[in-house]
Amino acid sequence: MNVGYVVRELYHQKRRTLTAILGLSIGIALLIILNALSMAYRQAAHAPLKEIGADITVQRPGDVPKDLSGAVFPCSAVTIRKEEIEKIQSLPGIKGIGKAVLLWVFDSKQAWIVLGIEQNNSIGPAILRAAVAEGRFLEDGKSEALVEAAYARQFGIRIGDTVSVNGSNFPVVGLMDASRSAKIAVANLYLPLADAAGLAASSKNLQAVSPFASGDVNLLFLKADQEKTAEISASLKGILGKKATVGTSDSFLKLLGSLFALSDKFTLAASLIALIVAVLIAFKTMAGNVAERAREIGVLKAVGWTNRNVVMQLLSESVIQCFLAGILGLLIALLVAFGLSFMKINIPIPWDMAPNPHFLPGGGDQIYKTLRLPVHIPWTLALFAVLLSVVIGGLTGGLLGRHVAKIKPSEVLRHE
Amino acid sequence: MNDSKILSGTGLSKSYGELEVVKNVSVSVNAGEFVCLVGKSGCGKTTLLSLLSGLEHPTKGQVILNGKEINGASEDELALFRRENVGFIFQSFNLIPTLSAWENVALPLFPVKISNEERRQRATELLSQMELGHRLEHLPSALSGGEKQRVAIARALINKPKIIFADEPTGNLDSATGDAIMDILNRLHTKEGVAILMVTHEAELAKTANRLIRMHDGEVIS
Repeated sequence: MNVGYVVRELYHQKRRTLTAILGLSIGIALLIILNALSMAYRQAAHAPLKEIGADITVQRPGDVPKDLSGAVFPCSAVTIRKEEIEKIQSLPGIKGIGKAVLLWVFDSKQAWIVLGIEQNNSIGPAILRAAVAEGRFLEDGKSEALVEAAYARQFGIRIGDTVSVNGSNFPVVGLMDASRSAKIAVANLYLPLADAAGLAASSKNLQAVSPFASGDVNLLFLKADQEKTAEISASLKGILGKKATVGTSDSFLKLLGSLFALSDKFTLAASLIALIVAVLIAFKTMAGNVAERAREIGVLKAVGWTNRNVVMQLLSESVIQCFLAGILGLLIALLVAFGLSFMKINIPIPWDMAPNPHFLPGGGDQIYKTLRLPVHIPWTLALFAVLLSVVIGGLTGGLLGRHVAKIKPSEVLRHE
Repeated sequence: MNDSKILSGTGLSKSYGELEVVKNVSVSVNAGEFVCLVGKSGCGKTTLLSLLSGLEHPTKGQVILNGKEINGASEDELALFRRENVGFIFQSFNLIPTLSAWENVALPLFPVKISNEERRQRATELLSQMELGHRLEHLPSALSGGEKQRVAIARALINKPKIIFADEPTGNLDSATGDAIMDILNRLHTKEGVAILMVTHEAELAKTANRLIRMHDGEVIS
């Protein structure tokens, strides 16, 4: 191989070189973008769970309370018994568990959505201590409350006030900013888990629909091995019944409804198509190149170049051309990814996961987790794409070796 | 010129399917000899040149070039043999359009493991002998027909061959330029002792040769 000859050939045949580089670079850019989008949607789908410190949420749907007074469970989250929790904890792939109790409390003057949380557990709603806008977070061993800031404004509740919930009194120690809090298990009053469980256990209405004892909860947040999510989901349904609501990244991905979100197969198929088109463009250009240069190849052979020498020359041109196409494709993909990263997507949070009474103002409204599409191109994908371009160049150049071998100098150099 | 044979073809035939283009031809060229192969267009001159130079395998017959029988050699073995033993000059010059004059001259040396400086030095010397020392970096598109053919002659000489095969070397040139090229070829065989086998259909050019081989319809007639 003569580097000068390779560079001259690529430079002097600008049109042919540019066609090959542009064609292949678009294919490579498509491949990178499709995969980056697929990863971005997967990452976005995990966001609602990530902000609550979990990989999986678990609920069990039940009956609608007959009498909406006092403390009741929303019909989307009824009792998960202590024994069931123990079974879930021992499932393979479970790394940690967070528990919560979500209640609707209908007092004579106002309605509360109460969430009982484990103050010191990073799995579950306690991760939201960063969302305290004013005051402080709940402290261990104290019966106290946090109120959602907008709700507090609506009802004139301030830090230091005492709120009465179904006959129990709780001093307000802080206000939560809903815009900074999770969209799963949204509440307007946050209590220690034991206090919320106490409200549930003492409610006749609640007990009539879904018996609740000490150690029971109605929301579970699981940290789990990502590779085993599907397996764990199946086991959870085995423990809690087929109707159990199991929220995972995959279930949010389906809610997103994008082609990229719907199926890995789509990304794979689209990537393959992009790649095949890219390879065909590279091959067609190189094949045209060999056909166009048959006379030149004949001269090279006549003056003593072996088939291997000629193939190495064409292979070098092809590899350099495809490498440049890979780099250009990567640059195009980076630009497109930068543009796409400004795109906002709304991930719908199913009502079941953030239940609020339909008959209250704003009740039943669809809640969305809104975020910028986290499109980025990992270096591994970038490296893979560039290496793939080089491999395409190598294969294309190699395949053309057969055509080169068929070129007979005596035939192509026969004078005009 | 001496009488030792540099090239010998015996009983050479070449067929393409049913069509026999060269029919049982035997020719030889002595070292330093200038031989012209003449005949009308389509009589098989160029095919015979290809057989004798190892560009093509004969259907029948034997070729001994510079003491080596080349009939059974593979394509790559033939290429290496050509690189070390023969030079070619074509009617349409066949220079590589993207390479400069000196690079075209050095083309046979590209696959050889020598430094680029050495390639350039050898090419420069030859181009200077062809009075093209001032055109080293020019692309073929910037050269006249005569200059292109002189670059092609320099390329044919880069490996110091014992024999040069020239196929209608003046066919694309005006008569004055053609005469100049013939002068160079004559000088090569008289002063440098290089054997030349030249195909031409111009009787006038053939007069400068030591010997003529006339072909008609695939056969040597004299």
